Amino acid sequence: MTGFNFINPFGVSDEPGTYLGDFYTDNFEKKATAGNVILNLGPQHPSTHGVLRVLVELYGEYVLRAEPVLGYLHRMQEKMGEVKTPYQYLPNMGRVDYLNPIAWNWAFAGAVETLAGIEVPERAEYLRVIAAELNRVSSHLLWWGAFVMDLGGVTPILYAFEEREKLNDITQIVTGSRLTLNYFRFGGVGQDGDARFFKLIEEFIPYMRERLKMYTGLVTDNVIFRRRLEGVGPMDESLCLRYGATGPILRAAGVNYDTRLAIPYGVYDRLECPVPTGQPNDCFGRYMIRLLEIEASLTILERALASIPEGPTLVAKAPKPTYKLPAGEVYFAVEGARGQVGCHIVSDGGKTPYRVKLRAPGFSNLSLFAEAAQGTILADAIAILGSLDLVIPEVDR
Amino acid sequence: MSDATRALSEGVKDLGALAVYRPDFGKQGLRLSAFLPGEALSRAAQFLREKGFTLLDVSTAEFQEGFLVTYHFDSFAEPCRLALRVLLEDKAKPTVPSVYPIFQGAEWHERESYDFFGVIFEGNPNLVPLLLPHDLPGPPPLRKKPDALASFAALGLFGEAEWISPGWPYAPAAAAPDAGEGAPQ
Amino acid sequence: MDLSLVTFAQILVAVLAIIGLMVANAVVMVYVERKAAGFIQRRPGPYEVGPWGTIQAICDSMKLLAKQIFVPANVDWVLFFLAPVLAFFPVLLLFLPIPFGPYLTGLAVPDGIVLILAFAGFGVLSNLFAGWASNNKYGLLGAARAVSQSVAYEIPLILALLAIIFQTGSLSLTEIVEAQGSYPWQWNILVQPLAFFIYLVSLVGETNRAPFDLPEAESELTAGFHTEYSGMGFALFFLSEYANMLLVSFVCATFFLGGYKGPFLDGIWWTFIKAYLIMFFIVWIRWTFPRVRFDQLLNINWKWLLPLGLINLWITAIIVKLLP
Repeated sequence: MTGFNFINPFGVSDEPGTYLGDFYTDNFEKKATAGNVILNLGPQHPSTHGVLRVLVELYGEYVLRAEPVLGYLHRMQEKMGEVKTPYQYLPNMGRVDYLNPIAWNWAFAGAVETLAGIEVPERAEYLRVIAAELNRVSSHLLWWGAFVMDLGGVTPILYAFEEREKLNDITQIVTGSRLTLNYFRFGGVGQDGDARFFKLIEEFIPYMRERLKMYTGLVTDNVIFRRRLEGVGPMDESLCLRYGATGPILRAAGVNYDTRLAIPYGVYDRLECPVPTGQPNDCFGRYMIRLLEIEASLTILERALASIPEGPTLVAKAPKPTYKLPAGEVYFAVEGARGQVGCHIVSDGGKTPYRVKLRAPGFSNLSLFAEAAQGTILADAIAILGSLDLVIPEVDR
Repeated sequence: MSDATRALSEGVKDLGALAVYRPDFGKQGLRLSAFLPGEALSRAAQFLREKGFTLLDVSTAEFQEGFLVTYHFDSFAEPCRLALRVLLEDKAKPTVPSVYPIFQGAEWHERESYDFFGVIFEGNPNLVPLLLPHDLPGPPPLRKKPDALASFAALGLFGEAEWISPGWPYAPAAAAPDAGEGAPQ
Repeated sequence: MDLSLVTFAQILVAVLAIIGLMVANAVVMVYVERKAAGFIQRRPGPYEVGPWGTIQAICDSMKLLAKQIFVPANVDWVLFFLAPVLAFFPVLLLFLPIPFGPYLTGLAVPDGIVLILAFAGFGVLSNLFAGWASNNKYGLLGAARAVSQSVAYEIPLILALLAIIFQTGSLSLTEIVEAQGSYPWQWNILVQPLAFFIYLVSLVGETNRAPFDLPEAESELTAGFHTEYSGMGFALFFLSEYANMLLVSFVCATFFLGGYKGPFLDGIWWTFIKAYLIMFFIVWIRWTFPRVRFDQLLNINWKWLLPLGLINLWITAIIVKLLP
């Protein structure tokens, strides 16, 4: 090359393969139509919360095809389950989904208890319900803020964090931590709540109800917000069935299915959980379902607080750290904030479980994104992605 | 066992099940579990799809007998969690037909099993690594060392069998005490 | 107009003063915006550097000045560096015809608004260059959005201004101010409320501010056309964004709010008070509303603002003709 090249003064190579495309892009490109733009959303992108990567094929602003690429936060939780004893593995459950650790606590502890036939004291069951519902509210709150942020409204997330701060203060009393909560023990819970714990919850319930009214005025009734969501990304019952989507997505599609009622665990069958369902199955319906679920959780909290009995919080013969699971197989599922959290344990009677399979609701929910996003505008695809309520550590496990 | 479960159990049996189990829901969290031959899997999935079931997950495990691929299903209308199992005895090249045409959500679950165990799902449209890097060296990470392998038949992991096809060699210990130790490898 | 040495010196002083104004405006507005955002979001905002965090904006600009300018591979070298310059410098010219005070105008040309509207087109050109040159798909999408948005929103903006021009019968900004009185009920905002509304919506669209910040829509395009700019390149875009905001606010104050005229005593302070009130309004809605979708953005323009602007213009023309 002689002379100065104005277009490319450093002589950077334009040869194919020098900087374009990794394995997944190449794989995705095979089915692409020539002339379309292939855009890599993520793994570092403001609206793929965490490290999700989505490959999209764009025609103008229209998404023709989308393919999520996972694994950027994969930690091989299932292998860890095989090399650690159940007791050692339990704290890991807080790390699987950092926004809703109590549900995962419950899924694993419940699976072990079912397999081993461990009884849980009455008071511990109520404390579990209280912790789980507080955690559900806190998870939905963060989703609410992040979802509105996906749509360009930056302020609400900071309002949501104000409430989360209060919730963290409450859960901190019994769990000792603020993020990766590890509250459950096999056969009970780690710690009984003190007077301050119950008083703070009682104060929080009316406060949160007031704040929900403010949320409606600030976000839900905003005309731009409504126009962005209504009719966007419809997901009907058939789609949910084919992809195994659960949680608010399924209930927004009009299916009255909630693990808390369908396959009752804990003391949920005694609390008569109100389960909101049957909203429009678009992004706005999924948004409304979650806000209604916060209200429902507050009602459950009220009932649980009213009827919590006195008693021990840990069964007398609670398993020791060296506890060995009996041989057998168990599948235990609970309702997390994002859908059905399942735990499948196969044990051969050894020190560590033979196989631990974690069913993450986000994994199934995200798998329908490719179909739901087809033919939408890029901004709508982002709204759909946000409305799925993804927590990538949970999806990748 | 409710009537609905009984009907399902009969239905699965008609589809060519090798063994049908009746687990204790309070201990195992399943209403029904059945071993199927690989070729009957698609028919069974179609049968469940028509009954309004959904695929919860695909959970694979490696045993002495081979790779055991477990499909967990549940119905939203009448909650009834059940498991269909396919035993892949060919350890060198474990292959099972994909249920992707019936449950599209299976694509990712199957890819996950492909990542972790190297089980090949024939008919999966995009069988590339999902959670693991595409250039990960070594064998699939969840495969076990030969001496760590357990035998599900010897341990009687899946409870009491309700019905066993004559050709099924892995009769659980409880149903046929003699067959447990002598199961062919 | 003869270009004597005096005129030349006047223009030079004006341009220097305007550069000072632009930089000072950016520094002040960054602080005001962050404090306002903090207030809206119930958090303190900057408070660490200097008293009440007042030095924060200056520190940030120092950081931007000192930062490495990162150039990604295979950029179009000329356009990549031309774009931020092109974004910044034409804005200087746009301030020249603005009558800040009764006797304070950079360059009192008789048809000042034509000058402003003509040079305002450079802004979108720089966005297009930036997006195209930086060899980035987000940038390209942002540039495509910027062009269609700016082209669309310029039309109702001009239609709204034309209604005032018809009414006043002059293209000179000073004459438009002089035609209005000192008290709020004598201002054009009461005579032409619809034009004011159209202008207000269009100015948000024209300056690419939320909820119409589609070219740099963070949650979709990371940063849109300036994704690949860092350091001084980014700073120039930033500066020009605030300068553009200030410009449309000044034009708004001049056309609709009586410019430098105000109760008690006419003067430069009224121009600034009015312009900064509009600036604060722009900041306020940015931190309150979610972003519209791109097709909705264009629909608002082509289906609502444009017909409304035309109707308003026709009515104005008829009234002006009937009531001379």
